[in-house]
Amino acid sequence: MLAAFLRRLLAVAPILALVSLLLFGALRLLPIDPAAMSMPPTATKVEIEAARQAMGLDRPVTVQYAIWLGQTLRGDFGNSIHMRRPVAGLLAETLPATIELSLAAMVIAGLLGLGGGLGMFALRDRRGEAVAETVTTLMMSLPEFLWALLLIFVFGVLLSALPFTGRLDPGMTRPVVTQFLLLDTLLVGRVDVFFSAVRHMILPAFALGVAFAPPIMRVLRASLIDTYQEDYIRQARLRGVGETRILLGHALQNAILPTLTLMGVQFGFLFGGSLLVEVIYSYPGMGNLMVDAVRNADLPIIQAVGLTYCVVVLAITAGVDGLVMLLNPRLRGT
Amino acid sequence: MVQLSRRVFSAGASLASILASLPAWAQGRDSVTIGWPSDVTGWDPNQRFTPDAQGIYKMVFDQPLDQDPSLKLIPSLIKAWKLAPDGMSLDLEFRDDVKFHDGSKMTAEDFQWTFFGRVAAGQKLDIANSFRKLTGIDVISPTKAVMKFNSPAPTVPVWLAFLGSFMVPKAYMEKVGVDGFVAKPVGTGPYKLVEYQMNGRIVLERNDDYWGTKPKLKRVVIEIIKDPSARVAAIQSGQVDITVGVPVREAERLGAIAGLKGELNPIQRVILLQVRNDQGFSDQNIRLAAHHAIDKAALSKAFYGGAAVPLSLPATPGTPGDIAGFKFPYDPAMAIKLLAASGYSLAKPAKIGMACTNGQFPNDYDMARAIVAMWKKVGIEAELEVIEYAKYFELNRAGKLPETTLYSFDNATGDPEIYSGYLLNPKLPFSPWKDPVLGEKVIAQFNVADETKRIEGWREISKEAVTIGACMPLLQSVQTLVRKDGMGYTKYGNGWVMGQTMGWG
Repeated sequence: MLAAFLRRLLAVAPILALVSLLLFGALRLLPIDPAAMSMPPTATKVEIEAARQAMGLDRPVTVQYAIWLGQTLRGDFGNSIHMRRPVAGLLAETLPATIELSLAAMVIAGLLGLGGGLGMFALRDRRGEAVAETVTTLMMSLPEFLWALLLIFVFGVLLSALPFTGRLDPGMTRPVVTQFLLLDTLLVGRVDVFFSAVRHMILPAFALGVAFAPPIMRVLRASLIDTYQEDYIRQARLRGVGETRILLGHALQNAILPTLTLMGVQFGFLFGGSLLVEVIYSYPGMGNLMVDAVRNADLPIIQAVGLTYCVVVLAITAGVDGLVMLLNPRLRGT
Repeated sequence: MVQLSRRVFSAGASLASILASLPAWAQGRDSVTIGWPSDVTGWDPNQRFTPDAQGIYKMVFDQPLDQDPSLKLIPSLIKAWKLAPDGMSLDLEFRDDVKFHDGSKMTAEDFQWTFFGRVAAGQKLDIANSFRKLTGIDVISPTKAVMKFNSPAPTVPVWLAFLGSFMVPKAYMEKVGVDGFVAKPVGTGPYKLVEYQMNGRIVLERNDDYWGTKPKLKRVVIEIIKDPSARVAAIQSGQVDITVGVPVREAERLGAIAGLKGELNPIQRVILLQVRNDQGFSDQNIRLAAHHAIDKAALSKAFYGGAAVPLSLPATPGTPGDIAGFKFPYDPAMAIKLLAASGYSLAKPAKIGMACTNGQFPNDYDMARAIVAMWKKVGIEAELEVIEYAKYFELNRAGKLPETTLYSFDNATGDPEIYSGYLLNPKLPFSPWKDPVLGEKVIAQFNVADETKRIEGWREISKEAVTIGACMPLLQSVQTLVRKDGMGYTKYGNGWVMGQTMGWG
């Protein structure tokens, strides 16, 4: 099993190399002059040309790529053109917030998806099935940003029940230990700040996660229906095992495997989908940084964030594959 | 029974604690939460020009000179200043009672470091471009210094109150380095930075040792809310106390809600059409026809509730560059006549390209579409393309802008050089008008030291530019602002919204 897992990890390297090449190439094709963007509007052509040379932009593209790749492999993503700060530092500041948001959204998607999947399975061949189908279709058809605005309107404005800007109440100070806010609040023993942070995360996490729940529901339901055709389920019934125990103790164990794979794939999409949600909720994560970088044509940030998304998605995919192998004895020998 | 009572009590207590922890948005009377549309680019205030962040920087850092609400230049860290008659040097006298947030005293050495020493040390700062003519700063005493220039620099006092010109402490910066300074900035301003999360929020606390008027509010929280809909929701739900940059219709709607006030405030930002002097606009008749065909009052009414003042010059009303009585009329009949003189008509329209941003300033794209529709009625067919604001300069440098671009230009000082001089200087990337005849006049005007001649010269240049169709001023932009009823603030002509001017009741 370890060998299989290592093989999968090895496959990640060429994918990353290809993504880095595509990212670098695509951004160089855009009609953007990073040297001009790095200077104030009052800069003269001579000053911009000097900046271009200083940035190495007058050298062949292949040389530029080799330099960039070499620096990236050493963890040096260069400096932001717009902010003139090291990109690695900007990523370190913003990535933890996006990871926290994505995980919270995944928990919501998972809870809704697994609960809903079990509910839909229970409703199979009943009147309620059509209603459940309609509800899940509606949940899927609304994009994240619309969910975001809808939730702000209902829970933020109409009910005034939940905050929707930033991460903490105005009177609270953010503790910084690891940059993971929820963890940091607990590490410093500030339960009040922890709950404030959780309250601030409810709406963005729900907006991000809700659209990912229906596919989980549907896959789990379909998987359960398949599993219920298996002999061991019939035999369990013949042994007099109760329906709830059959569902939770026998069928779910097998039916959840394709659902887990799906959730792994979804997490990648969900991570990428955080861009607009972060902007709407003033959430200080990597998505928010990326939107600004695109607006300012800040190529070093766009490249680094693009690569980070890729690494995170590949890492999660590898992790989920490992988990599935661990849970499924038939895959362990492959 | 006893058990039931305990349950009821327990449930009640839980509910009470949840409710108590819920809406903590509204802060006390000693603080304010501002919903602001953009973040600072970093905490080195000299490094990048960020017009929208100038008000934020002004809470933490002081500028050598300041502007009053009517934008008149006033003393600040500099008590007195005197430009030499030839404009080649500027004598400065500083206050001697100013301390930085770290307790160190501000002196002329800090000024020398901020405006000359940092650049000489090789630090990449945008203010180096503001003070190109500066050849050195002689420190005479802790409170006296002289700025020296390689050519007349009459607008240096204005620049000392403009973008990027904020005093930073020499000793502290040399000790901690630029990165250390950015991580923990120290200024002389009325507030100290106590917390910053990029793209999240800025928390400031009053500087009780401030040399100037002490702010009423102890704490200022700035929530960076980039999405206009979220800003609308934040002020309506009470999560912020004051916000700006909401859509005009929303400002009007929110202003009608009890407990809120909506404002449309004209500011020193001009909306205009920047123009090329070649391609489809090489013919002056077509340019002037395009200008005559635009109903500016209708644009103001449609997109700014009538609050945006129609302009005939690239200067806002009341500023030195404005010419009382000068009007460029809306005259579609004249537009048709001019086009006919060049052989164009409704059946055979003149064809041009037009660029605009989408979301850079309120209703920019919709306004561009309205202008295209107005032109169509007189016989000008414009193809509209959307560009990112940041790309304007690059496209202009490369000569790739279309015939005209809908553009918004911010000039917090109101000085005519920073309007006409920058908008029409062929050597700077603001102007797509590259004709040397007007260009040489513009460049020469930068060196006029006599204040009366300087202002008069810029007025003449602005008038000539409009008369030949080198630029088409449209409207004075407005800042939309919504605040809670009890929240007072000082209104500045350039749209600065600052915690030190705010107070409740």
